[in-house]
Amino acid sequence: MVLSLLIGKFAIAPGDVIRLVIFNLLAAETSYPGVYHTVIFEVRLPRIFLGMLVGASLSVAGAAFQGIFRNPLVSPYILGLSSGAAFGAALALAVAPQFPVQISALFFSLVAVGFAYYIATSRGSTPIISLLLAGVIVSAVFDSLLSIIQMAVNERALQSIVYWLMGSLAAASWSKIYSALPMSLLGCAVIFLLRWRLNVLAMGDEEARSVGMNPELYKAVFVVAASLAASSVVSVVGIIGFVGLVIPHMIRMIFGPDHTHLIPLCITFGAAFMVLVDVIARVGMGFEVPVGVITTLIGAPFFAYLLRSTRSGGWE
Amino acid sequence: MHKGSVVAALLCLVLAVSSACCGEVTIKDDLGREVKINSPSERVVFMMENALKTYYAVGDPQNIVALKDDKWMRKLLEDIFPVIDPDFEKKLTVSVTGGSVDLESLAKANPDLVVLWATTPDDANIKAIEETLGVPVFAIFVRSIDDVIHQVDTMGVISDRMERAAEVKGIMHDYMNITTNVTSSIPESERPKVYWMWTDVLGTAGVKSGINDLIELAGGVNVMKFSENETAMMMEHPVVNLEMLIKLNPDVIYMWYNENLDPEDILTGEDFKGWKDINAVKNGRVYEIRNPYLFDAFSPRMPLALLHVAMDLHPDRFKDVDMNKTIDDFHVEMWGVHYPSMEKA
Repeated sequence: MVLSLLIGKFAIAPGDVIRLVIFNLLAAETSYPGVYHTVIFEVRLPRIFLGMLVGASLSVAGAAFQGIFRNPLVSPYILGLSSGAAFGAALALAVAPQFPVQISALFFSLVAVGFAYYIATSRGSTPIISLLLAGVIVSAVFDSLLSIIQMAVNERALQSIVYWLMGSLAAASWSKIYSALPMSLLGCAVIFLLRWRLNVLAMGDEEARSVGMNPELYKAVFVVAASLAASSVVSVVGIIGFVGLVIPHMIRMIFGPDHTHLIPLCITFGAAFMVLVDVIARVGMGFEVPVGVITTLIGAPFFAYLLRSTRSGGWE
Repeated sequence: MHKGSVVAALLCLVLAVSSACCGEVTIKDDLGREVKINSPSERVVFMMENALKTYYAVGDPQNIVALKDDKWMRKLLEDIFPVIDPDFEKKLTVSVTGGSVDLESLAKANPDLVVLWATTPDDANIKAIEETLGVPVFAIFVRSIDDVIHQVDTMGVISDRMERAAEVKGIMHDYMNITTNVTSSIPESERPKVYWMWTDVLGTAGVKSGINDLIELAGGVNVMKFSENETAMMMEHPVVNLEMLIKLNPDVIYMWYNENLDPEDILTGEDFKGWKDINAVKNGRVYEIRNPYLFDAFSPRMPLALLHVAMDLHPDRFKDVDMNKTIDDFHVEMWGVHYPSMEKA
């Protein structure tokens, strides 16, 4: 985070950045130009904090979904969350501009997850395989609806939709952090506090029942919490892939599959990874690179290395 | 201005005139492909709206048989097209799905020429239409203001109305002169640095783009000219970083029409607090293309777009210009229609 605060396209000496932060914390007067204050406190810091929030939320949501589904290929988007959010954003961007993009994306991401859960639930039971298939179906439905919008709109609106779909932290602001923070914190806090129960769920429904746990109840709780955490950040920054899939894997490979350690480590490592990747996205080239591209380019080789050097990716 | 475009225009005309005696001419499209067409082409399909505006200024509306099924274009029904062409709303439409032209609906129109937007000679639609239907395709690829003017010559050849094309170019130049007669004498020191904001907010116009030409003719300087990064500067649509923009510190921010954002959002919005130290924001100089149909820089209406931008960049120098009257006079000369009353002149 400190490194990220010191680096940027607007050149400010590291010593000046540190002095400005200290003066600001002490509420002391400074003789630095006002633009220095703006760059540090209105451009870099919101972007760093938003990156941390996104990385932590997606990683924790990914870890929770992987635990519930007992499947290493699951990401936070497995129940149609990203497809619903993309449809909601496209709807607001191109068809109904009177609706805020963020609210529309959030609403439809939760509708998609809720719909998948409803389809998969039968006679009070939600089998994992049904949930997985329902997620695939709901994703397909919202992807089709998104395609219809993309076909119907003009080139300019299409450009906005594509830009949103790529995901970016470039438009970070304090107001966006404030709007995403409550739901993200709530979702992450629930998963954090109940994290040991993921260890039981990961063993299977029968095993969970045998120790007196209601697997259906906790599956629902974790799905809602993970969806809230992921949707709140996706609605603000767009769809950023790879983080929610790979960060939990990496942690699992290094520290083992115990969710009591995995969840807090996902919060810290996910946040740090996202901030690091965003530094490269914003200063690595002469122009802004979509952060999702960098997450993949940086994360994939490291993931491949860990995969080759551990047995079954840490699931055994 | 680009000498290459002028040479291309002359070559196009030479090629056209050389075989004009036979009714079939060979012209070069915007991608440099040689295309054999009938002059006049009598069953033309337009798959883009900008070129259609140009054609309506020059050619016979009856020779257009179908249009792209485009919501953007359909929205223009409220515009001048139905007044110029009484059959406009009855034209066949050709759909585009996932970027691919529907060949069946195109075949139904039985065209002798298709005009579409393409950026490369290997464009899949060009190949599909030419190879499957055997219909010539004229590719439009506008990169500069010169290309917009050159398009008038193209429509002159397609419609076999070169004299009218020359008149239309004359009208465009006359109306451009309203702006350039004033802006050409503005010294460098009084030309504001302009950041052009496309709908993706941090996406802008590079120095090799039609918008760059527009800014310069309007008496400004594209702020990307001062970018330290040559790659970003030369890109058609570079995406900048907010810190880079603060460093470039434009005097004016000019927004392309944005349905989700207004200049007021940039000036006072919570999401734009990081922009507050940019000169344009400090001085309240954030403007927007208010009507993307009327002020379309890539159509014959380019002189109006130019004047619109110039009046915002240099309000004092254009205080005597009556914009509404200019718009009306322009439409009467160009299409024989009053604007905004839409009555035939």
